[in-house]
Parts: sequence; C-alpha cells; structure tokens
Amino acid sequence: MMRFNYYRPASVKEACELLNQYQGEAKVIAGGTDLMVQIRDEDKKIAGMKVVIDISHINELRYIQEEDNVIHIGTIVTHDQIYNSPMLRTAAPLLSEACNTVGSPQIRHRGTIGGSICNASPAADPVPALVALNAKVKLESVRGERVVPMVEIFEKPYKTNIAPDELLTEVSFKRLPGSARTSFIKLGRRKALAIARMNVAVVLVLDENDVITEARIAPGSVLPKPGRVSEAEAILVGQKPTAELFESAGKKVAEVMVEKSGIRWSTPYKEPVIAVLTRRALDQALGVE
Amino acid sequence: MDKVKVNMVVNGNPVSIEVKPYARLLDVLREDLSLTGTKEGCGVGECGACTVIVDGETVNSCLTLAASMDGKHITTIEGLMENEKLHPIQEAFIKHNALQCGFCTPGLILSAKALLDSNPNPTTEDIKVAISGNLCRCTGYQQVIDAIKEVAEKTR
Repeated sequence: MMRFNYYRPASVKEACELLNQYQGEAKVIAGGTDLMVQIRDEDKKIAGMKVVIDISHINELRYIQEEDNVIHIGTIVTHDQIYNSPMLRTAAPLLSEACNTVGSPQIRHRGTIGGSICNASPAADPVPALVALNAKVKLESVRGERVVPMVEIFEKPYKTNIAPDELLTEVSFKRLPGSARTSFIKLGRRKALAIARMNVAVVLVLDENDVITEARIAPGSVLPKPGRVSEAEAILVGQKPTAELFESAGKKVAEVMVEKSGIRWSTPYKEPVIAVLTRRALDQALGVE
Repeated sequence: MDKVKVNMVVNGNPVSIEVKPYARLLDVLREDLSLTGTKEGCGVGECGACTVIVDGETVNSCLTLAASMDGKHITTIEGLMENEKLHPIQEAFIKHNALQCGFCTPGLILSAKALLDSNPNPTTEDIKVAISGNLCRCTGYQQVIDAIKEVAEKTR
C-alpha cells in the first residue's frame, strides 16, 4: 500500500509553494478519480510520490466566467458542473456533451476538468472537445505563470510537460460563433462507466451560401497525442457539405491515424470505425442523423 | 506519516476524527465509524457499491480521500432510517424485489435518494442515468427502476 503525506493548501499561492518544496515527489489531487486508482494499483506513473496536495478546497479555482468572448474555467470545476452550466451549453455545447459522457454520475461529481487534462489519458472525453475549441491552459508556479495552447503540453499518453513545480489553474477558449455547428461522439463498450474506445469532437462553420469556412476535427484515442487532423479539415473547407465529402474527410482521419500511430493490433478495427465515427460526427453537427 | 484532522458531518452527526493521510473515505466509514453498510466492490470507481452522498451529490467513497472530507456532509445507507422506520426508497426496494444478493443495494438506494432529492419527478431516462454508476448483477435493473418510479409517484 502506498503511503504519503497530505496537504490541503488554502490558496493557489500556498499550493505553488508546496509544489516548489516537494517538486517531483508531490502529486496534485482534486477529484481523485484518476489518482486514487493509480494509488491503489501502485502505478509506476506515480512512483516516488511522497506527498499529495489537495486543491479541491481552493475556491478561487472554482469558476466558469466569460470575458470579452473568452470562456475561463477554473481547474477544479467538475464534469458535472460543466454539463450543468447553461452558458457552456451555448458557448461550447460539444464540451458539455463530452463532460456528460465521462464515467458515471459519481465520477462526474468528483472528477475535474483540470485533472482530466493533467492525467493525459488518450481516451479522456473532455480533451478532444477542448482541442476542437483551441483551448489554452494556464500554468502557475512560484516562478510566475504562463498560458500555452493545451495541445502543446501533451508529450505522450499519460505524460505532459507540465513542470513539477507548476499547477494547471485554468483552461480557456474563445466562445464559438453563433453560426458554429458542433458535435461530440463517444464510442464505448457500453453507455455508462466505459472508457472511450474512440471519440471525436467536431466544429463546423458555414457561411450564408452553405459553404464550410472553418472545420475542426479532433479525434481521441486515435493519434499519438491529442490534436486536430488538419489534413481532413482541409478537405472540408471551401466546400458545400455532402455525404461524399464527409465520407472522404472521415477516411482521411483514418489514413492519418495509420500514418501517425502505425499499424497496431487494434488497427483493423479502428481504421474503418474512426472513419465512420468522424462522418457521423460531421453529419450530427449539421443535424443530419 | 502525519494524521490529518477532519471535521465532517456523517448522517447528521458531527464527527471529529484524525485519519491516516492515505485512508479512503470508504475505509474511515467502515473501519473507524463502523458504518459497514457502505460496501467495497471493485475499489476503482467502476461498480458504485461504495456510493455515498457528499453535500447532496453521489461519489465513490473508494476514490475519495477521507482527509479531503473536512467540512463535508456525508450520508450513508445507515442515515436513511428515521425513527426506526425504513426510508420509503428502502420499502419500495423490498416491495419490488429490487435486490437479490444485496451487495449493490446501499449504493443504488443512495443514488436513488440523491436523484429524488434534487429531481422529485424523474423520467425513466433520468432514473437510468442516476443509477448508471451502480452495477447490479442480480436484478437486471428493471425492478430497481420500478421501485424508484413508485417512490417518485407516491410523493407527487
């Protein structure tokens, strides 16, 4: 059984001081829905952990705010709080949907948006939605703060380049334009309590002539690290939506997956399925079922 | 390892206790407070047998550090009886045979309670979502859904 000391800082400043003191020997806990499983499994990902820093009581990190069309979400906001935010349902409906597919009600009541990002699971549901929103994250430490595009922090599955003394305090993104159409689809072995086999988040913007002016496609559990598939997006931009167009964009996502992730044991399954999943997500964004 | 002081309210009673920093809420409920109605199934948040209500919301007590519960209100299955009488949800579970082995029952009943406390008029879909984090291998869930529906209808 893993043993460790527990700290409950009252502020971001205190949390950063503790992280600075303990560096790599400390792990941050908020909802605990991932870390507690790793602790139970004595997972090598947390080998050498001597201290747990609980940020779940730091209320200055619990907010959903909009300022100048930019949405700011504090790191300890739970999946359930995101799903239940009326503002996010219009500003980023794909994020609401993604957060509502995480785990179970019990997990969504505890699990946080910041934790989901920092755990860096390739199958995280909120992450593709945030990728499609071009989200940024704020990292704070005693050395100062930096804001970086979220996709830049991911190194490989379950590994980020967040420094040992840094705390992810906020995720932010621009409100989607009113004309944006979005969707999020998760494919799991069952509806509840299933980790995504694959998922995909899409954003489409069409002009008054029904021409796609912007397309964002962010699949999960498909690429070596989270990101958009610009090759597939390029197929869509400047075109009018048709079944054939969406089909070829889906096939392109599958092609890029094989190119970047290589042929793996799961490829014969994933290759046709991610193509269909992407096409369905595009259809769904346009309200075609 | 330094013990952590936690002040919480369990089933309406203030509890002041020193817990090990790595103790789970589940361990403290069962071992320190002798509230063994909360069950450990999978221990990794997949089955919901350890479900308790914290500040009105269901959580997996196996994934919750006891040390993080300072200032929280916790309800376990032992907190549902009033004046030696079973809670209406408990009565309905018995009436509808919504259990066989009973291991998942405390968690299911707490998920039902949290649902009905916040949404007294749930649809069948609302009920299904509310109990989606509780695995039951005996009933097939239909009896559980029937029981929860009946409680909702009676209090309408």
